[in-house]
Amino acid sequence: MRAQDDAGATVATGVAAGLDPAVSVAGIRCAHPVWTASGCCNYGRELAALFPLRELGAICVKGTSVEPWTGNPGPRVAETAAGLLNAIGLQNPGVDHLLSVELPWLTAEGATVVVNVVGRTIEEYVAVVERLGTAPTGAVAGIELNISCPNVREGGLQFGADARAAAEVTAAVRAATRLPLVVKLSPNVSDVAAFAAAVEAAGADAVSLINTLLGMAIDPTRRRPVLGNTTGGLSGPAVKPVALRMVWEVSRAVSIPVVGVGGIASGLDAAEFLLAGARAVQVGTAIFADPWSPLRIRDELLGWMREQGIRRVSEVVGAARPR
Amino acid sequence: MARPAALHTPDRTGGWSQLEDTESPDGRVRSPWAHETATILRHARGGPDWYTLTLSAGALATAALPGQFVQVDVRGDGAVARTADPLLRRPLSLCTIDAAGGRISLIYRVVGRGTALLARARPGDRLSLLGPLGRSFPEPSRRPDQPLLLVGGGLGIPPLAGAAAWARRAGRQPVALLGARRAADLAGVTEVRAAGGAVVTATEDGSAGRRGLVTDILSARLSADMEVWACGPNPMLAAVADLCRRAGAECWLCVERPMACGFGVCIGCAISRAAGDGYLKACVDGPVFAAAEVNVLA
Repeated sequence: MRAQDDAGATVATGVAAGLDPAVSVAGIRCAHPVWTASGCCNYGRELAALFPLRELGAICVKGTSVEPWTGNPGPRVAETAAGLLNAIGLQNPGVDHLLSVELPWLTAEGATVVVNVVGRTIEEYVAVVERLGTAPTGAVAGIELNISCPNVREGGLQFGADARAAAEVTAAVRAATRLPLVVKLSPNVSDVAAFAAAVEAAGADAVSLINTLLGMAIDPTRRRPVLGNTTGGLSGPAVKPVALRMVWEVSRAVSIPVVGVGGIASGLDAAEFLLAGARAVQVGTAIFADPWSPLRIRDELLGWMREQGIRRVSEVVGAARPR
Repeated sequence: MARPAALHTPDRTGGWSQLEDTESPDGRVRSPWAHETATILRHARGGPDWYTLTLSAGALATAALPGQFVQVDVRGDGAVARTADPLLRRPLSLCTIDAAGGRISLIYRVVGRGTALLARARPGDRLSLLGPLGRSFPEPSRRPDQPLLLVGGGLGIPPLAGAAAWARRAGRQPVALLGARRAADLAGVTEVRAAGGAVVTATEDGSAGRRGLVTDILSARLSADMEVWACGPNPMLAAVADLCRRAGAECWLCVERPMACGFGVCIGCAISRAAGDGYLKACVDGPVFAAAEVNVLA
């Protein structure tokens, strides 16, 4: 635990020495750049029993739809080499539950809340966002538009795999809200930068990427797909190089902020994403084995910044030079 | 280079205080959970593919109740650099729980890379654990005079050792009906016997106890005044639930589901509700369910 103790010490002295880890992502103001990823922290209650949610840069809560969704039949998860396949199917209690139960609680916890929004149709996305507009000012820091879930038949990837549809849903949601709008992009396309440019043109304030990579696993003994949904989304360290490459490409193609997601399990992983062009990062799958990992990664990242003599996150965003 | 450093999980308090439904009116208990670094006291092969792991884990031994489980980091205690593979912890049911001695035991089958790695751990090694997770069997003292049958199959037997001991401390006289394909697969029978109370065994090939299925013994003994706690393969659990429903007996099932986090955030361990649409989470709503709540085969 010595490395951790050292990192913890560096945070304190780093702040004293003028290290300022605060970032603003399209108006979402965060004390530091480490967020939790949607679908990996539910609505925060389980993690709040372990540490105060206000210690997170932001919390991206579970993908939320206009009506409750039941999700997919199991098995919903399968571990792969350094990765995890999931096909949860966006099980969630609906936006009214979020507004009446979860959001007031999250506000009281002092969390910076980004609501991940899902829908089957453009109208459903807009309906969720309109309902979020009724929340008290400040309760919702921003919206993350999920057009990239590979595990639901309608919605999700039907928008995320077609640049025109992605732009269309982004524009419709843009017209329905003044909240900061982050669009979460799918890696399951050949030119992710083109999608980023399309949603930027349609009014997105930022993009986050990557959502999971489509994959599958087969049980050789039973000769059947392992997941109940047959295919699922791959996450975890296995996808990090792909995510990093896509963040690199997108950050060069758009002028809006980029949030990096995909296999981040350490402060140095997070640093790589910032250097590639991300202004903030999200920690997802790492939470499952180590629920404290978002804070560990924050501490490691800040320790690295201090070591490097970096005072502000903006000094490193996109600072990796082309070879 | 980008390898994660030491685990950021000092042994500190965790819990469920923020969940909406911390209380469980039916007697199943959800304990506060935390991270604990346990030390392996004993690690012995018990059968062709299963092992018994005895751990010194004081906080867990004090907090845990039968039916609950722990998430084990099969890569060790986290003081060494964590590798990215295997990525997830392995959920293992608690077998015996010795609060006074600060010990717990876990019995597991080697089914893949993670459990194969765990099988290489030696006495003196440390293991990073999260727990106790999930809801226990229902508090046995709530029905002091009701006959209690414990029904176990294969690797579902071990949790019934802790259950038998808990029931006996509550003044119950549990009878354990334990079955497996063959004698070598009767995992945890020694621990159930050590808890005291009657034990009846059955094997499909007749290599130990009676020849046949444990559900055959159950159906011969079951009556409406009884309470049944069962743990085992899904077809066995479905058969037990069906027998109990027809007999009018109260029935509790301890289920197993593929699982990622174990503490409620991933929603990976869904189990179908018996009535209506939707799913419950095996990790926080279970793993012990009233038989009428869930459809174990769906």
